[in-house]
Amino acid sequence: MVPSNRVGLTQRKPSAVPLDTTAEVETPEHIRFHYRIAGPARRALAYSIDLVIRGLIVYAIFILLILTFISGDVTEGASFGAIAVALFVIEWGYYVVFETVWSGRTPGKRMLRLRVVKEGGYAVNFNDIVLRNLLRAADILPGIYSIGALVMSLDTRCRRLGDLVAGTMVVVEERGMLGQPLVIHPPPTPAELATLPSRPPVSPEEFEAIELFLRRCGRLSTAREDELAEMLAPNLAKRMGHPRVTDASRLLALIYHRLTVGEATVPDPVVTPATGRPRGPWG
Amino acid sequence: MKVHTQDEFVRAHESRWRHLETLLERKRALYQHSAVEISRFAEDYRVVCGHLAYARTAGFGGDLVAYLDSLAGRAHNALYGARPLRVGALWHLMIRRFPRALRRHWRAFGVANLLFYGPFFAALLLTLKYPGFAGEVLPKGLLERMADMYADAHSGREFGTDAAMAGHYVHNNIGIAFRCFATGILFGLGSMFFLLYNGIVIGTVIGYVIYRGNGENILTFVCGHGAFELTGIVISGAAGMVMGYALVDTGGRSRLESLRACGPDVGAMIMGAGVMLLIAAFVEGFWSPSGIAAPVKWSVAAGLWLLIAIYLVVAGRGGTR
Repeated sequence: MVPSNRVGLTQRKPSAVPLDTTAEVETPEHIRFHYRIAGPARRALAYSIDLVIRGLIVYAIFILLILTFISGDVTEGASFGAIAVALFVIEWGYYVVFETVWSGRTPGKRMLRLRVVKEGGYAVNFNDIVLRNLLRAADILPGIYSIGALVMSLDTRCRRLGDLVAGTMVVVEERGMLGQPLVIHPPPTPAELATLPSRPPVSPEEFEAIELFLRRCGRLSTAREDELAEMLAPNLAKRMGHPRVTDASRLLALIYHRLTVGEATVPDPVVTPATGRPRGPWG
Repeated sequence: MKVHTQDEFVRAHESRWRHLETLLERKRALYQHSAVEISRFAEDYRVVCGHLAYARTAGFGGDLVAYLDSLAGRAHNALYGARPLRVGALWHLMIRRFPRALRRHWRAFGVANLLFYGPFFAALLLTLKYPGFAGEVLPKGLLERMADMYADAHSGREFGTDAAMAGHYVHNNIGIAFRCFATGILFGLGSMFFLLYNGIVIGTVIGYVIYRGNGENILTFVCGHGAFELTGIVISGAAGMVMGYALVDTGGRSRLESLRACGPDVGAMIMGAGVMLLIAAFVEGFWSPSGIAAPVKWSVAAGLWLLIAIYLVVAGRGGTR
């Protein structure tokens, strides 16, 4: 008999953590950064690149030693000793050395723009680097990083065992690009501007929406552009007393131009965080 | 009336952001720059943090916020990052952190010793009493080869052979110890297995060689480097078990926090063990097989065991750092 008050199956607690692959870090200055967590595919790719590089290093050392051996400079034993040490260093030390010298990056990670950081967004220290890389020996079990992959799939920050112990995570270092300034093309003609009131009745939220829309215009298909513009433009047109809209996105561009450039040529005051953003006439 | 737009905001501050970006692009780490540059960097970082907060509240476009987010994040990483490794820190590790961490986890070290030396002596005695036991543990061929290896007293080899063996020991023994450590994350089971396994195998081999009448040769050979090697392996296992135990007894924390809390100590222990094993490999490669008289080797070995015991008990006591 199922108790009648059991409704738990259909009720779900809203998750406190957003379902995406970013890690938020708050600094002592109360600034929040977002790091994009590197997923298993990207890390596996970086691993393969490093594996190839390690293979090539071993190969190069091998060739070098054969050459010195043939030339008779070193004894056979010393060559084999050197190979064994080299194998050891490449097996256990490759990651430790690179992540120490390049602050959390190896050649493979560098190519895929990955970096190991502490969970607080700090740079890793030597202790963490040693721990996370020695524990590869556990993550790799029972072959092809099965345990590591399992642990990563259960963790919101895609950390393998080594990361968990060392308190590190692997992030994608995105190099954001500064967008181009917004240019209305073709430039608004005086005739077009004459149809607009000198203070178009637009709320701050609407203004933001227009600006975001215009910045995305170049990346949208014409049909999508029209569809989005049609959501806002008719309302604004009605408010301004325009009978009907012929070109919705053009109207939005004109409104934006009027609001930003204005009619008078007042020099731009420099916007600083301290003074805040001056509001439009709608307050 | 005018509205202040994203473009104006960008125009007003772009040069500052670009400047910060070029500093971040440099190959040199931040601490290698001049004092003036560093303080300029810190100031720029704080200003960019302000810009980021402003851009978020002003509702500027996602691209701009993402750009500032990444710029501030990278600057933060560079500004707050310490140098990852200093020689002084390594010295500090060996002289203080390592012995201290080991003493803090003396229980784990004790258990690891039992897990290693228990089976070691059991296998040794069993082999001496019932030589057939060795054949149950290891293949006959391997045992015979080991016995033959120690048929003659070591009278020194060429440098080349020594170097080859030293390299082999670095690769093999430290690898074993590291694996013994890493598999401890599986609730300590891996470390326990490797300690037991190595104890049994080493005990059996030594027992069998003694049974075949070459006991003096093998003991004279292993006594020197054994001080570093066996202790190093036991410490690796202990470090692995500390990690495994942190998952079992979390002390009221989440398993993850408990695991992370043991990180610094475990790191110190395994690095210390690594250094000991490195020393062991070279002693084993160059000193142990040399033709030096057995009494000398035995005295030196006794000195080394004593030295290590004193080091582990005394080093890093007193002082706050």
